[in-house]
Amino acid sequence: MSLIDDVLGTLADTINNGDFPEIGYYGSSKKNVEWSENGYEPVNAVPSFVDGRKVESAKTIAGLVYGLTCFKEHLEQKMSMSLRDFYYMHKVKRVQEVLEISGQNETNRLINLCERILKIQGTSVPREEFGVVSSPKGTFYGDVTLSDLSGKQLNCSGAGEYGWFISSKPFDVKIHDINIDAAIFVEKEAMARNLIELKLPETLRVGVGSLFGQPGRNMRAWIRRLADNGVPILVLVDMSPWSLRIFSTIKSNSIELSNIRGLATPSAKLLGLTTTDFWRKNGMLTAIEHSLENMSKSDLKCAQQNRKIPAINEDPILQQENEVLLKKRKKGELEAFKAFGLPLTSLRNLYIEYIKRKSSGFDVKLI
Amino acid sequence: MSAWFYRNRTIAGFDNPARSLYVSVRELVENSLDACEGAGVLPGVHVSLQQVKTDSSEVEGMPKDPQVFRLRIQDNGSGIRREDAPRLLGRMLTGTKFTLKQSRGTFGLGGSLALLYGQITTQRSIEITTGRSGEESKHKIVMRLDIENNEPILVHEEQQPKNPREHGTIIEFYLQGDWFRSKRRITEYFLQTSMIVPYASMRFDNPDGESLRLPRVIETLPKQPKEAKPHPRGIDVELLKRMIKESRRSTLKSFLRGSFQRVGESTAEKFLASAGLNPAAAPKALSNENLVHMMKKLETYSGFLAPSSKSLSPAGLDVLEVGIRRLKPEFVVVRQRAPNVYEGHPFIVEIGVAYGGELTPAIRLFRFANRIPLLYDERTDVSSQVIRELNLKNYGLRQDDPLAFFVHICSTKIPYKTVGKEFIGDIDVVRREIDLGIKDCLRRLGEGVRRKRRVHRQERRESRLVGYYEFIAETLGKATDQDVSLVNLLGN
Repeated sequence: MSLIDDVLGTLADTINNGDFPEIGYYGSSKKNVEWSENGYEPVNAVPSFVDGRKVESAKTIAGLVYGLTCFKEHLEQKMSMSLRDFYYMHKVKRVQEVLEISGQNETNRLINLCERILKIQGTSVPREEFGVVSSPKGTFYGDVTLSDLSGKQLNCSGAGEYGWFISSKPFDVKIHDINIDAAIFVEKEAMARNLIELKLPETLRVGVGSLFGQPGRNMRAWIRRLADNGVPILVLVDMSPWSLRIFSTIKSNSIELSNIRGLATPSAKLLGLTTTDFWRKNGMLTAIEHSLENMSKSDLKCAQQNRKIPAINEDPILQQENEVLLKKRKKGELEAFKAFGLPLTSLRNLYIEYIKRKSSGFDVKLI
Repeated sequence: MSAWFYRNRTIAGFDNPARSLYVSVRELVENSLDACEGAGVLPGVHVSLQQVKTDSSEVEGMPKDPQVFRLRIQDNGSGIRREDAPRLLGRMLTGTKFTLKQSRGTFGLGGSLALLYGQITTQRSIEITTGRSGEESKHKIVMRLDIENNEPILVHEEQQPKNPREHGTIIEFYLQGDWFRSKRRITEYFLQTSMIVPYASMRFDNPDGESLRLPRVIETLPKQPKEAKPHPRGIDVELLKRMIKESRRSTLKSFLRGSFQRVGESTAEKFLASAGLNPAAAPKALSNENLVHMMKKLETYSGFLAPSSKSLSPAGLDVLEVGIRRLKPEFVVVRQRAPNVYEGHPFIVEIGVAYGGELTPAIRLFRFANRIPLLYDERTDVSSQVIRELNLKNYGLRQDDPLAFFVHICSTKIPYKTVGKEFIGDIDVVRREIDLGIKDCLRRLGEGVRRKRRVHRQERRESRLVGYYEFIAETLGKATDQDVSLVNLLGN
């Protein structure tokens, strides 16, 4: 808040002095980012500048100034806004006439720029701090007691059929008590629901989270919170090039958001489905190898591009998974368990055995 | 000739009521313009086309049957001598004329055809009033045409007093037509004619009660073409035969010198020697085979000088430019190419390119031949082909820019491609002249447009920058509760 005032004040002074404002920041190019075991780290090698003498840059500064005043207003009123909200704030007539914003992409870029420009002790201030919440999603079920932004205390296994809907600002959530030995995050909602229905969280003393596809920023931050509290993180996704990307963003964050800290969980483990499940001799899913589907053109393209993503290509496990997929040209989905055609109790036991056996490979012991 | 026309009128363009009306108006307007220019007067032409009320003409909407119209054309030409008037207008010209000069006459038969068509379709007489400068009276003649004998029949004649300074001709007659289907054509014809003949003042009163006024915008008359003898490369055997028949020269050599342009003593001798013909032979004694042989040699002999362009009358750059300015464009560039020759006929290409202003954003092409607009078959015209192959990007222009091209070709023989005489064929040398002319114009135009765009962009950039900073100052002022002034940054 005071940071916003500082920036606005500096800009006002600069202009009053008759100077064109100039703003430097570090863009999200690959040159400014380095991958390591701890995920993506900003290295800030190549700065970019917004030069107020140029027309396009002046537009950016105008957008920035307007954006910051919007954030300020919202913070004063303790309100949050979505990206779409922010976009519509540029449709205020007076603003639209000057800035002529053509689409949400432009305003999204502005927010990204704000995150890069506003820094406290060299660390980017995430957009959530200035009231912008981008599409929160994901749920978590399990014996974890916390208080979220509502101020109410709750247990994540008593908050409805999916559990707790992850807060938009997981950093501000107070965790009171954790009674789980591990947390399993599942790519697909249906599989997560099955696990909860079969009472696996209670049986195995684990938490079950549903990612709903590519995890949002809030989910990634929540996973990191759990990991910081000593909970082993296990991730259950499809066996496909896309799912490798999902896992890599949990583990290493993304290049685009590398300036935002606290989104990577380097200790996260890929529980499944892995290529070894289907194609290694004692793999647990060799019996349903026939259920695998051919990879489509876009799947193959995705796998090709994965070779250029440092978080996948430089991680020995992910790199190998990706190469095997490219070689076999087949993909597996979480729903494959249903291809065994087992009765309910046997299926439950299969899930338990699968999770237990795979997690023990990572030295995570479950009951 | 009249009888021949009567049976073959479709060939001359009188095949349906709509087209006939258009062709009639056009032929007579062109006659008038020719008459004025010939007399060295700035043309003033007043055309009035009115529908003659009949029972069926009251029907609303699209008319089914052709209607009868009264067409009146008044010009300020030199007028016609009383003795010449009936013959001049009432008889198809079949005379033997071996001199060449640029003239409008698209069908070579002039307005007489229109009058004949009018009489055939309405059976009504033709009224001509004509007066010459310096005379105290004008003549009014009412006449009919005798189709079988190609002769005029005088019905009535009277003299009316007039101011000696007045001169000109009024022709008034009735004809069948279809205004509904020819309105656009005729209106477009007047508009385009006013571009290529901007020194004429024209007025057209149409049957709908509207009046199209096209005042004169320049007071210069293009230089009149001089009559010239044919060039040896521009004739055929048939013409050669007729020329020999008419000629009084007794030897081939003197025939060549006397009947062709740019053929003198030595050229004639050299040619005859190379063709193996006896210079002293009597032209009339040549056999058909010899004639064909001579024609072949005439076509292939390379020693002739290029035909003279004195028989041409280009519009001139000033006239062309003011004509194009009628469209109110922002830029106009005009160019005239040097005279050139195709198949023994001299021609001059004049090009104009207009940009911006009130032009609509698309490419338009206006074609003119011997100062008459060509309205149809645009896509097959050689100019269209040239324009289609242009790469506008090279000149800093785009396909959807407001651009108009003007191509005027004048020649003693326009290289029309078909009988319809509405488009010009793809003749290499003609195409090249048009191509070079257009490119020359575009280069000049491109510079102007680019300069204008640069200034415009600079202005827009500055105004946008100011706009952004005003917005920044205002927003910052509100957010920080202090006055943020741009005076130091941008001045006032």
